[in-house]
Amino acid sequence: MSDTNNDIVLEMKGIHKSFGKLEVLKGINMDVMRGEVVAVIGPSGGGKSTLLRCATTLETVEKGKIVIGGDVLCDDVNGRAVYCDKKLEKEIRSKFGLVFQNFNLFPHFSVRRNITEALIHVHKKSKEEANAICDELLSKMDLVAKADSYPCNLSGGQQQRVSIARALATNPEIIFFDEPTSALDPELTKGVLKVIKELAKEKMTMVIVTHEMSFARDVADKIVFMDGGVIVEEGPAYDLVTNPQQERTKAFLAGY
Amino acid sequence: MEMLKSTIIQLGQGFGYTFGIFFFTVVFSIPLGLLVARGRMSKLLVVSAIFRVYISILRGTPLMLQLLLVYFGPYYIFGVNLGSIQIGPFNYRFIATIIAFSLNYAAYFAEIFRGGIQSMAKGQYEAATVLGFSKMQTYFKIILPQVVKRVLPSVSNEIITLVKDTSLAQVLSVAEMFTNAKAAAAAQVSVVPFIVVGAFYYIMNLTVETILNRVEKSMSYYS
Ligand SMILES: Nc1ncnc2c1ncn2[C@@H]1O[C@H](COP(=O)(O)OP(=O)(O)OP(=O)(O)O)[C@@H](O)[C@H]1O
Ligand SMILES: [Mg+2]
Repeated sequence: MSDTNNDIVLEMKGIHKSFGKLEVLKGINMDVMRGEVVAVIGPSGGGKSTLLRCATTLETVEKGKIVIGGDVLCDDVNGRAVYCDKKLEKEIRSKFGLVFQNFNLFPHFSVRRNITEALIHVHKKSKEEANAICDELLSKMDLVAKADSYPCNLSGGQQQRVSIARALATNPEIIFFDEPTSALDPELTKGVLKVIKELAKEKMTMVIVTHEMSFARDVADKIVFMDGGVIVEEGPAYDLVTNPQQERTKAFLAGY
Repeated sequence: MEMLKSTIIQLGQGFGYTFGIFFFTVVFSIPLGLLVARGRMSKLLVVSAIFRVYISILRGTPLMLQLLLVYFGPYYIFGVNLGSIQIGPFNYRFIATIIAFSLNYAAYFAEIFRGGIQSMAKGQYEAATVLGFSKMQTYFKIILPQVVKRVLPSVSNEIITLVKDTSLAQVLSVAEMFTNAKAAAAAQVSVVPFIVVGAFYYIMNLTVETILNRVEKSMSYYS
């Protein structure tokens, strides 16, 4: 682990990403400090999910630099992103967690196994250790009674809380959320947002793509407004929501 | 009554071969089918083309013809005489039968497995990737168990067909049940052996079905 910039958990610099001819990210810069909660908002198709997917190794970028927890995932060399080797990439994957919009739990595993499988088989923890971590997370997520249930028998809100527990289990330095409540009914949304709020109180570093504007305003330290593959405006959460500077931001927020 | 009893005994002796063909074909064709499915899904166009042709030919020509080709091919084409080969209790007739059946059923299984693997949501791979699972772990822990559940009904269908297809081994004069039944019917000038052999196949399939249903049920704890 590197000691320099120890308080920057995520650094993204000059990120360019295209799908074929379609340029989806057009030079994104984003720093996330330790303990900071950043909300990413913006209209559909603006590139929010793509940005998270690039940061979480699910997509590769063409240009730019990405540093997570002090490890360089990719660096810009003569205008081209050059990626680290597989070994470091694997290590970097243990430094972040990702929570998907549609949960992506493993349906054939019990709740417990969803949470412990990576602990045991990737992080080489003993079964007892893994179970202890799992029990603690389940009580935090208010899901103790569901340890032996299967995802198909849980509500959407419960499934999303399991997936948050799964992402937290490996003790990551940062967690990314891609619209964690968009697939949920309003009353199920509350439970999930409450859990994320608690994580924010514990100073968990988080990047959250969301359409829940009041949640972003209240929980995030910083809001980033993305549109058309660029960051149009960013700033302290309360200021950006109540007093946006750019026309596009104003127009977008007027819709809420 | 004596006649019926001796018929049953005679067919029972053939049952060993029938069951052997069935058993070894299942054991070999399923893993082979998985490999063929992987090859068929290869990103290398040459590889996927080769496996596509393989599947197309094996599904598009009669199994009986494939049996004959595997058995006679080495000698007729290359002049290699394998007739004296013997592995344990199995002679070349039987081995050729197993090879042909396994190659043929692997083609069918490959297409079933491919459908199952391709029906898996991308999100399962992605969730596994970000959790740090290796490609192998993802395949064997996350993907394959779910694929097995999805393809089981189609696989069951093939396995039930296989029980009946074992009778095709008669073209190589393997002494399985059907060959014996034909001989008995001719000797006795009677249809009784045919009825008895039909009962054998039916009972075998009932058993196979019961087992497969159990397996299917054991995987119904999630959806
Ligand atoms: N795998 C892909 N192949 C081709 N185009 C893609 C792919 N993924 C995303 N895109 C395109 O990239 C653009 C940005 O998509 P992205 O999903 O990042 O937007 P978003 O801001 O997350 O939108 P939403 O709010 O609807 O989730 C869209 O035009 C989308 O069609
Ligand atoms: Mg999105």
